[in-house]
Formats: sequence, C-alpha cells, structure tokens
Amino acid sequence: MKKALTIAMALLLASSALFATGAKEQPAAAAAPATDQSGIPAHKSDLIIGSAADINNLDLQKQQDQINNIVLKTTHQTLVRFTNEGTFVPELATSWEYKDDTHLVFHLDPRAKFNDGTPLTAEDVKFTYDMAMNSYVSSALAGLVSTTVVDEHTVELEIEKYNNEFIASIASVPLSIQSKHAYESGVKDPYYVGSGPYMFDEWVQGEYCRVKKNPNYWRDDPGVSDTITFRPIIEDSSRVIALQNGEIDVCVNPPINELSFLQDDKNITVFERAGSRLFYFAFNVSKAPWDNQKLRQAVACAIDRDSVLQVAVDGKGTPQTTILNRGLWGFYDEMPGFPYDVERAKKLMAEAGYPNGGIKTTLLIANSSPYTNIAQVVQANLKVIGIDVEIQMVDDATLKSTCKAGTQDLYLWRWNEDSKVDFVYRDLFYTGSGSNYHHYSNKRADELTDLVATEKDQDKRMQDGIELQKLLVEECPQVPLYIANLVIAYNKNLKGERLFGGGNHDWSHAYIAK
Amino acid sequence: MFRYVLKRLVLMIPVILVTSLLIYFAMSLTGGDPAVFLAPENATDAQIQQIRVDLGLTDSFPVRYLKYMAGMLHGDLGTSYVTKRDVFRTFIERLPNTMQLAGASVLIATLIALPLGIYTAIHENTWKDTLGMIFALFGVSMPNFWLGLMLIIVFSLKLKWFPSGGKSGPLSLVLPALTVGLGLAALITRTTRSSMLDVIRQDYIRTARAKGCSEKRVIRRHALPNALIPIITVIGMQLSNVMTGSVLAESVFSWPGIGRLIFESISKRDTPMVTGSIIMCSILMVLINLLVDIVYAFFDPRIKAQYTHKG
Repeated sequence: MKKALTIAMALLLASSALFATGAKEQPAAAAAPATDQSGIPAHKSDLIIGSAADINNLDLQKQQDQINNIVLKTTHQTLVRFTNEGTFVPELATSWEYKDDTHLVFHLDPRAKFNDGTPLTAEDVKFTYDMAMNSYVSSALAGLVSTTVVDEHTVELEIEKYNNEFIASIASVPLSIQSKHAYESGVKDPYYVGSGPYMFDEWVQGEYCRVKKNPNYWRDDPGVSDTITFRPIIEDSSRVIALQNGEIDVCVNPPINELSFLQDDKNITVFERAGSRLFYFAFNVSKAPWDNQKLRQAVACAIDRDSVLQVAVDGKGTPQTTILNRGLWGFYDEMPGFPYDVERAKKLMAEAGYPNGGIKTTLLIANSSPYTNIAQVVQANLKVIGIDVEIQMVDDATLKSTCKAGTQDLYLWRWNEDSKVDFVYRDLFYTGSGSNYHHYSNKRADELTDLVATEKDQDKRMQDGIELQKLLVEECPQVPLYIANLVIAYNKNLKGERLFGGGNHDWSHAYIAK
Repeated sequence: MFRYVLKRLVLMIPVILVTSLLIYFAMSLTGGDPAVFLAPENATDAQIQQIRVDLGLTDSFPVRYLKYMAGMLHGDLGTSYVTKRDVFRTFIERLPNTMQLAGASVLIATLIALPLGIYTAIHENTWKDTLGMIFALFGVSMPNFWLGLMLIIVFSLKLKWFPSGGKSGPLSLVLPALTVGLGLAALITRTTRSSMLDVIRQDYIRTARAKGCSEKRVIRRHALPNALIPIITVIGMQLSNVMTGSVLAESVFSWPGIGRLIFESISKRDTPMVTGSIIMCSILMVLINLLVDIVYAFFDPRIKAQYTHKG
C-alpha cells in the first residue's frame, strides 16, 4: 500500500513536471541580508500582496479599477497626495496657491525626476492633464479649462470657477504625472514611466505583477522592500489559506466568515478600522409609486439596519442615517432620520395613501455579496408593511445601465468616496448627473451642492453641507444602510503600510520586518 | 487519410461561422451597456456616448457582426474593452497554462481510471467492483470547488507539500490537476469497466481462454485493445471539456488559464474577449475531436482500413 502510494505520488509529480515545462517561476520570496545599510531596516526582499481582483490595465488614463490604481500608486506620483489621515500633502508639488478664483499655481519640486532619470517638469504636468482631458478619466478633471507652463518648475491651471475641492481632484491616481519625453520618444508602454519609489518590473497577466525599487528615485523616502508583488487570488478561501501558508504577506478583503481562522493564527494580524464604503437601498423617484416621498419614508422606517449589517458583514460596520460617506468633510449624522420603527412605517404608509400596503415591486441587485444577503432582509422587512418585493439579480453592468436608463423600481448599490464630498452630492443627487440613478431632482439640493463646492467661508459652507444632508435624508431618495469596516489580514511583521478605509491602500513604503 | 483530415478541417469553417454568430448574438442579447460599465462612476452622458462610439457600439448588430467577421479573417479577434489588449494574443498567452492543466489532469485520470476500470470489470459483482464503483460515484458527484478546497487544506495548509494556488513551477500544478483529474477519473473508470465487460463476454475471449492463454494475456492482448475505442472517445471528450471548461478549478487555484479568463471577462462585460475566447475554444474542441478520430485509427485496424480505402 505504501509502495503504491509512493508510486502514485511520483507519477503525479512527474506528470506535473512534464506539463509544467516553460512555466514562469513566481518571484521567490527570498530574504534580504539582515543588514542596516543607509538606515533601511532589515526586511524580507519581496512583499507579496494577495489581491481579491485581477490587475487588468496599467495604462493610467485608460483604467479605473481600484486594484490597478493600487499598483500604480507605487510607481507614479501626483502633484498632491491624499493621506489616510484625510489630509492633502505635497508630493510632486512643493506648494500651491490660488492666484485668483480661477487660476491655481503649482510649484514643482526641482529634484523630481522619472524612473528613466529624466527630470519631471511643468511640461510633463501640462502633457498629462491635456491627455487626461481627452480620456476616459476626463470627468476627474471636471472644471479644468487649461494648463499653462509658467517656467520649468511652475505650472498654472485655469478652472471655470473657484472650487473648494479642485485639489482633491488632482490627487487621484489616474492623474499621476507621466513623462512627455517617454511618449514622444516612442518608448514601448510609455505609461510605465513614473516618478514613484518603485518602477514596473514584470507583469504576467492573471499570475502576478511585480514592481522593483526605482534606482532614480528622487525623494528621501525610498521604499524598503526590494520588490512588491501583487498576486491576484480571486477565490476568498484560497487567499486566506495562502496567507496562512506564508505564500502571501497580505490578504486583502478576507471573507468575514473565515476571520476566526486568521485570528487564531499567531503569525497573522487581522486589522479592522472604520471604512468609507457606504451601502444603500435606493428608489427610482421618477417612477410611481416611488415618487411618493411619504412612501419612501415608510420604507426607510421598515428596514432594520442592524439586521442588515449583521447578515451582510457580521456586524463589522456602522449603521448610518445620512447619505454622506463617513470621514468626509462635513459628515453629519445627527438628524433624526427614519430609524427602524414598524409602527411608524405603517403610519407613514397610511399617510402615503397605502394603508393596507398592496404594493408589488422589484428590487434590482448585483448578483454578489453582500447584496444578495441584504436583499433578503429588506424583502422580509417590507413584507411586514405590505410591500411584496421580487428580487432581481443581475451583473454589475446590467444593474448600472438599467439604473441609468431609469427603468428600475428599487435597487441596492454602494458608493465609495474618501476625499471629495462633491463626488457624493453632485454625482448621486444633482439633477441630470450621469450616476444619479435615483433620477432625483431638487432645485434647493442642487443650489446647496453648488454652494458646498464653491463657498469660501468654511463655516457657512459647513452649514450648507448640513442643510443639504438633512434635506436629502428627509426627501429620502435613498436609505443609507451602513458603512462597512475595512478588514484586512497580514503578516504580523508588516510595517510601513498606509491603509485607507475605502481600500485604496498605499504599499509603496510597506515591508516585512525581519 | 489526408483527404479525411482535410475534409474535417474544411468542415470547421461552418462550425466557426455558426458558433461566432450564435455567440455574438447571445452577447448582444445580454442586458447592460458596456460603455456604462467601463466609464468612470461620475462620467457624463457625453463621455459615455464617446465610449460607445470608440467601441463601435453605435452600429447595428449586423454591421457590428460583419465588421467582426471581416477582422477575424485577418486574424483580428478585436481588442479587449478592459485591458485594451489584443484578444487573440491574450488567449494564446493563456492557452499553454490550460493545456498544462488539461494534460496533467487527463494523464492523472487515465492512470487511475484505466487500471481501476479493468480491475472492476474483471471482478464484476464482487466487493472489489462495488468499492471501485463507489469511488467512481464519489468522483462524479463531488463538486470540483469543494474537492479543490479540501485538497488545499490537507496538502497545502496542513502538510505543506504543495502551494495553495498560483502558477509557480511543477509543484503548483499537482493540486489543480488532481482536483480536475479525480472527477474525470470517475467517468473514465465507469466507461472502461462497461467497455471491458462488453468485450470479455465476446466469443473470441472465451476462445483465447480455451486455448490456454493466461488471464493476464487475455486481458492485455485480446480484451483491452478492443475495449479502447469508447475509452478513447471519453478521454478525448474530457480533454476538450477540461481545455474549455475548468473555470472552477482555475478560480480556486488562481490558475491563469482560459477558464478564468472567460469568467473574468464575462463579469467585466468584456464582449470582444468573451466572444473571441469562445470562438477559439470551439476551434480547439473541433481540433481535439479530430485528433481523437485520428487516434482511433491507430488502435482499430478496421477504421484505418476504412480511411485507406477512401483516401
């Protein structure tokens, strides 16, 4: 029996070796010498990030996926960087000032250079922004009129009108500064030329993407790990096991129901902090009967957010009343809103003209977690007040285009924003906005959105923001459900990570200490 | 023989045409506008319309299909909406990974199934036969993703013999190949057993035994070669199925093959990648089936003679 088993295993290995010829070896996680040269701490050579999504495009302005942006954060830089403490700090620009309401001047760091050794100048900034204005990501630069080179290290941006959050716009990864020289000299894949602490090394699609230290890095904060490998492991359980095995150092988005295995492992840290991703239940207010505000409020009162939070993410989050993502400027959650109260819901149903319920409707959801779990709770909750909900599961693309076309009744969706309030107010609620899937329109809400964007008096702006949130909660085009916590698991020796509540992590200074 | 192969290759043309039309039509029926999905969340209507124009989505279905087919004649299966890379090139890059997995799986399956099928047939209606058939039933009924996870837990997490996933050298192929191979082994075992049972009841087997041939020789020289045709058919079918359909195993083990490519492309509504990949898969299936038919000739002189007469 033992002999048979040995033979079987030998055959398995032989067949594997036979068919695996030509396979690319994954970069070995070899340890670096435990020296402390130039103040760099002893570290494992390769930091391996196990991601939950596949990297699919690293051409900055032709992609929008979070995982691509996370890779690109290590290799590229923006004029201004958004920190995980919610502030904007200089990166390629040393300082900036408004010359007048519509002209913004940036002073570039004269030391800045790309990973090919060429200097990064104002020409590169203009080249990047001009290119962006004609690309998929042009909406990120909404309001920019033109970019003018003042001198080699000074660039002036003209905007349509003063905007409190224009600086936030240019901190987004797709607007990282690219090399004009690389594009004009015909370099293959010129978008790989960046100024970050790492530079592109190798990408085998579906397997891994590896970046290595940039030898021409210009700042005094170089990365520590020699290489950083991003390895997509889509299957949640496999990603967890890979972390337990030490095959990866970081497990992004570990499944909530498997956290206990990780928490029991003494070599692993499970980190949790408040997140910024808001999950919400929403109405198409342009379609009867959901154009009835009282009816929407009744539904809001009938939904048990605590139960939703429990089944969706095992309670790892915060129930929410307002429509704004937690952590954003002007977040206000003190309004009474419509907490779970079935009696009040029934009363509101009567006021809305439906004392006996009798409404049949459809809830459109994406066929993935947590929407499927949330939908079942909502369906049961609404049944109590006489609303029969049929759950319709579709893929993300169908959900978005159906909602955009305005043919849905009810839907579940999420919004992840951690730096710019205008991306919530304007995108979700402004009349005619492309992602206003509620098809909501309110003149006062539009006015307040514009005021929050342009009002220079910050106290007054804060009051406008609070009034807007109160108005939107009262009007109830959506029922905010909860903000999911950020949960991430990693090797207990991980240092230098910059974790963001919305998942836009920065690994450019992370390493595994030895 | 040559004419037969040529004829089969020519017959591939209508297969590709019909497949491509069906796939293209099916993809156009699916709801959801790729432009909306590809655009940033806060894109304006004008930007989304521009994306539609860029992707050629503003043309009518027949125009889009004809343009696609015209491109295909030049070996152009289009460009992925998501990665902006050439579909054909991406498919060809992933193909060797799937071939490795499919080859290793079928090899494992055959190494397990052939001896087991023969053994159970020889010991028909004994406890050995029952045990073998329980294994086969278990293999057929077991979901791939469950078996994959169990193998990972035992051989990777507990015993640390193999990596849990990814493609990092020969060892990383063992668990995914075993996962797919065990499922296939069950099916091939059943076919082998049934085919062997048919053959060993034939008169010429009885004659061989009557002439005093040893049981080993009867099975090896007289029964097995005659039982092989249906077994080869099943192995060939399984090979083409694995080549084109090991999505679950590839997902569980993060194996960068075609199955995962198609799965991810569908979830991203990457129509050119899905359409191109499925067309390529259908071509692969036809080629594998042709290969199986040719292999028949080597095992069955009657088929070889048939080809020779015709050719």
